[in-house]
Amino acid sequence: MKGVIVTGTGAVRIGRHYEKSVRALAAEAAWKALDEAGVDGVDFVVVASSLSYLQEPQLSLASYITSSLGLGGARAIGVESGETSGLAALDVAYSLLQSEKASRVLVVGVDKLTNHPSGPTYSMLQLLHDAEAEAYYKIGHAGVAALLFRLYLDRYNVERATTAYWPALMHAHAKENPHAMLRFAITPEKVVSGMPLADPITLLDAYPLGDGAAAVVLEREDEHPKNPLARVVAVESAIGMPGPQLRDDPLDLESVRTVIQRIGGTDGVDVMEIHDSFTIYALLELEAMGLAEKGKSAELVAEGYFSKDGEGPLANPSGGLKARGHPIGATDVYKIVELANILAGTWSGVRRGGEKRALALSINAAGSEARAALLEAL
Amino acid sequence: MNGVGAGSLPRWWRNRIPRYRLVGAKCKVCGRIHYPPREACPYCGSRDLEIVPLPRRGKLLSYTHVFSVPGDNRLSTPIILGLVDLGSAKVIAELTDVLPEELPNVKEVEAVVRKVEEQGGNGVIGYAIKFRPVLQATPGGQG
Repeated sequence: MKGVIVTGTGAVRIGRHYEKSVRALAAEAAWKALDEAGVDGVDFVVVASSLSYLQEPQLSLASYITSSLGLGGARAIGVESGETSGLAALDVAYSLLQSEKASRVLVVGVDKLTNHPSGPTYSMLQLLHDAEAEAYYKIGHAGVAALLFRLYLDRYNVERATTAYWPALMHAHAKENPHAMLRFAITPEKVVSGMPLADPITLLDAYPLGDGAAAVVLEREDEHPKNPLARVVAVESAIGMPGPQLRDDPLDLESVRTVIQRIGGTDGVDVMEIHDSFTIYALLELEAMGLAEKGKSAELVAEGYFSKDGEGPLANPSGGLKARGHPIGATDVYKIVELANILAGTWSGVRRGGEKRALALSINAAGSEARAALLEAL
Repeated sequence: MNGVGAGSLPRWWRNRIPRYRLVGAKCKVCGRIHYPPREACPYCGSRDLEIVPLPRRGKLLSYTHVFSVPGDNRLSTPIILGLVDLGSAKVIAELTDVLPEELPNVKEVEAVVRKVEEQGGNGVIGYAIKFRPVLQATPGGQG
């Protein structure tokens, strides 16, 4: 097995970039990553984007982005796998490097969520769900998560207030993250009393609508890259039931259980970036990953188990999808940027210090697919 | 749904049987039932499926009022969604004919055909199954 090394990282602060196109955002992140790696060319550019095909709109996006980056000599591949697009792109890049089809690959994740008002954007986001099943109705981006959230609270008798510690923790972390969209603290009380998006989900349980781009340069270890930051140890994926209504237990994220098993478990993971598009998914993931008993994850979060001074793995030092932001196809690439810098000791945000092993996890919609990547310090 | 495909007339048309009649697919190998019918059984992968009618009454497992409503359907905000257990299959669909204050006490719902969309890209008016509370218990009433 060839070692695959992250050698350059770049990220745009997530926000409402009305003045910047998808290409401009991609260039900002990609050029920063190339500069950091100290390289001026790559063999392949793998572009992760989900909503661009609807928002910008642009088809055959990877070729247009690659030529606009000034990398016309490179080969380009586009990857669309919904909210897991970024880790899918990493999977492609990892395979290209391991098979020695490439020596150096640039992964760029980019999406805009603000080219249209929120109503049409919710129409696009609901297509992350199964358009032939639940998304036949006007479920929006939050409807299915809300059904699962109520089911969870009812079944396990969890206080709504206990679950609100997750978004509060995410905002505390995002305050220290230079490329986070929402860099301010919130209290758990504010979460509960917030404006309802789809009850019991409030605005402060949900990711903000923002634009962003993030990029990483990956190189083969045997080619002695100039700026090694962290090693990619494994990239895995699993698909689950297309919708939670098809699962025996709608609250069981079976795709997460499978992908964590395929990647070898969570033992030794010091820090992780998990998928908290809505509070309920963070809670269900922690339970599916085996880091909390069923119905107990909110309590562990509230007790600080996943916080900076806690005993469990540090969860989402970036602020998560909740507060760093969630530009759909770009999000997983942000996770790699953040985790690689934490492992390299070059991260200015929340960290414990001495992290050796990091896990990125993402799901699409309510778990129709799940992806994970393991990184380790050099 | 503003130019992203849901205003497609052929799409509404080809879904009319499962969407008006509430029929699912039963796997002839593992026996499990799913809705709406898929190309292969999501549980065992078998392609040997038969179309079966689903029970028209079920238990309401969860619900929500969606305020972040997609598209240009502001007039129908909020949209009420439910997770319904029909026994042989579970379904996510819109709820109708129910007031917000009634919802916490709704246990049993039944299927009706209702309008889902009338402002699609091509002026298509789309209908599908929704669920409403069973207000009066009818003896032996398994529709």
